[in-house]
Amino acid sequence: MVFIRRYGTLIGFVAILVFFSVMLPATFPTARNWLNITQQTSMLMVVAAGMTVVMVMGDFDLSVGSAASLAGIVAALMMAAGQPIWAAVSIALAVGLLGGAFNGAMVSLVGILPFIATLATMTMFSGLAFVVSGGKTISGRAIPEDFGNFARGGIPLGDWGGVAVSLPNLSIIAILVILVVWILLEQTTFGRRLYAMGGNMEAAHLSGIAVKRLRLIAFSLTGLAAAAGGLMYASRVASANPVQGSGLMLNAIAAVFLGTTMSRHGEPRILATVVGVIVLGVLDNGLTQLSVDSYIRQVLVGALILVAVGAGSLGQKRR
Amino acid sequence: MASPVPLLSATSVTKAYAGIPALSGASLVVAPGEIHALMGENGAGKSTLIKILAGVVAPDTAHIAIDGAPVTIESTKAAYRLGLRFIHQEFNVVPTLSVAENIFMGRRYPRRASILVDWVELNRQAQRALDRLGIDHIDPRQNLGELGLGDQMLVRISAALLDDAKLYVMDEPTAALTADESQRLFRVLREIRASGSSVLYVSHRLDEVMALCDKATVLRDGRSIDSGALANITHDDLVALMIGRKVEEAYPKAVAEPRDTTVFAATNLATLGLKPTSFSLRAGEVLGIAGLSGSGQGELIRAIFGDFRVTSGTMSLDNAPYAPASPAAAWQSGVAYVPRERRAEGLVMRRPIYQNITLAHLKRQSRAGTWLTPGREKRFAADLGANMRLKAVGPAQDVIELSGGNQQKVVFAKAVAGDPRLLLLEEPTRGVDVGAKFDIYSIIRERTAKGAGVILVSSDLPELIGICDRIAIMRDGTITTIVDAAGLGEDDLVNLCYGRTTGMVA
Repeated sequence: MVFIRRYGTLIGFVAILVFFSVMLPATFPTARNWLNITQQTSMLMVVAAGMTVVMVMGDFDLSVGSAASLAGIVAALMMAAGQPIWAAVSIALAVGLLGGAFNGAMVSLVGILPFIATLATMTMFSGLAFVVSGGKTISGRAIPEDFGNFARGGIPLGDWGGVAVSLPNLSIIAILVILVVWILLEQTTFGRRLYAMGGNMEAAHLSGIAVKRLRLIAFSLTGLAAAAGGLMYASRVASANPVQGSGLMLNAIAAVFLGTTMSRHGEPRILATVVGVIVLGVLDNGLTQLSVDSYIRQVLVGALILVAVGAGSLGQKRR
Repeated sequence: MASPVPLLSATSVTKAYAGIPALSGASLVVAPGEIHALMGENGAGKSTLIKILAGVVAPDTAHIAIDGAPVTIESTKAAYRLGLRFIHQEFNVVPTLSVAENIFMGRRYPRRASILVDWVELNRQAQRALDRLGIDHIDPRQNLGELGLGDQMLVRISAALLDDAKLYVMDEPTAALTADESQRLFRVLREIRASGSSVLYVSHRLDEVMALCDKATVLRDGRSIDSGALANITHDDLVALMIGRKVEEAYPKAVAEPRDTTVFAATNLATLGLKPTSFSLRAGEVLGIAGLSGSGQGELIRAIFGDFRVTSGTMSLDNAPYAPASPAAAWQSGVAYVPRERRAEGLVMRRPIYQNITLAHLKRQSRAGTWLTPGREKRFAADLGANMRLKAVGPAQDVIELSGGNQQKVVFAKAVAGDPRLLLLEEPTRGVDVGAKFDIYSIIRERTAKGAGVILVSSDLPELIGICDRIAIMRDGTITTIVDAAGLGEDDLVNLCYGRTTGMVA
């Protein structure tokens, strides 16, 4: 039972891989498809990595999707106004960081429950994105070519069965973000303190941990990651509209929850989140290739989360 | 007056968790009309045995009979129907409901027109239950969360006494009670005995058990070691039975007198719930804090620890001004704290031992204050643990898997890991068995020998007298007097707590 609880998600993941490989032998188990999946999931990967940081403390952030949209809009508007790409990207990231810090302040300094505070900022960021963009999609010549080309570029990995493959730039960013979050959570005192706060906020406070400050920092980092995810998305589609990040929030939370089913005490861990994101990405990729209707896909993904997390909590029950 | 038919007989009780035996053929026989003590160290199997009787845990094997009739207790409902009532150490209450609602939890509320709750009747019956314990300061309509821990326990006890039962099982009922509240409880327990019902009483406070109980069953390593009348056994023999070896003293001797230098002083220190309070503490001294619950003990400690905002007054540590803005600042200055509730305030239960110990010292227990060094942390924790006789698989074991006494040792390890100048302790041995208690007192002695000052808040009067140099009495939010602990009797201390004068003011 304990085995099922810890490794059930991984076993299910392998089963999914085998299933798609059998159904789609020509297109699914190929290097090209896998690199494709890493690119498709890279935005979610970055946002989910940021989500992991706050969920380690037992909090979560509902505003990441609108923060991502807002960051994309801000960058696109600046570029449309003739600002250089680096300035547009920096300002957009700063907007995400500040938005996250605002969430953190509401939660830690004012003391509003994260669910309510980030629900409120979710609608605020979303509204702001509409206001500054006038509700329009910013695309075409307003976006510099270099910005869109970034997402299409990558590092060539050579030939694979006669087909040239490359590691997409977006995947490289995702890998770097995962690495940074891994170091932060697993190798530094900052991460240790966040996990202690997630385990027992009061004991952490009485052990001299600056609980309020760390919470504020953690939310800021989540906001920063959300903005990065939004920029990656804007680059990939070479345009920005005020709702393009809205699907990220639920998927990011789902990925972290899938990951928690693999850890010892059900706590979020970054590498487990990575597996969670890949599970969602592979499902999406495989089902699309099988031409399964996208609404059916939603039903299947939701059911998968219930099964994985449900099996985990049933395994923990003693009676 | 041996009764032929015991009220409760449980024999050959075995239970193993994941192959590790918790009970291996334990037996317990309680006669009608007696107060029976269940004794043993933490981990001896007391809790498991009680949980089996309560229908919470299913035994592997057991022969249980009530009034001579064999029974199986497959659920808590079954235990209730059989006339068994339980008052647990970790009482389950709903703080947002009223006292009366908590008392009636799990029972049918009195009704009006068969569907509406009769609140007047509910409150009246709850009041009657409280009256039985002589409690007049708790309003049944109050929210339970507004009450202190001691009062909450009194409410739980009242609830168990609501209807007549055969056997009342009480696990550490006095842990959160003041001496006076305990006395009232004992009076009720004696009434229960007189009415022919019985009490199974679990406590680590031996004096209490010796004074109150008729018989005792001692468990050790899941077996019943001995059972008999308490009149025929001495305090020391009972301890020896429980831990399987002789102990010479309950409290380790002080190795040195307190020094003449002052380590800590408070001048007119005040915070919300603490009126201006002044005292000083010498290096190597243990200052006890006694008083009725809610007299300002917690506020005093939290003010010194930088957790409650100081509204007036000053403090000094090693003769330098000391004004911590947060617990973090207190730790930084060399002040360490062992909180009252180890599970809720002291430990991160699902984290390893070593991470709990170094949590307050990560700046030093890391490279450049940033990079974790788990190998070094584990060695540090293992050394500290060995010094305290911490029983664990290793420093990486999760705290949740340890017994209460060993969990408390982890809290102490965290507190002393930074060689504190001032050690603040609240109820440091609550729910801790005799063997571990001695180890904890030894830790305190070790710190005072190194010149640290210790402030110890406790409701365990023998402990205060046994381990402290002086005892400060708190009443109505301030220290009213400070007395020498040497030669002090428990009754003197009780009188002082109630503000009756004795001639022993130092």
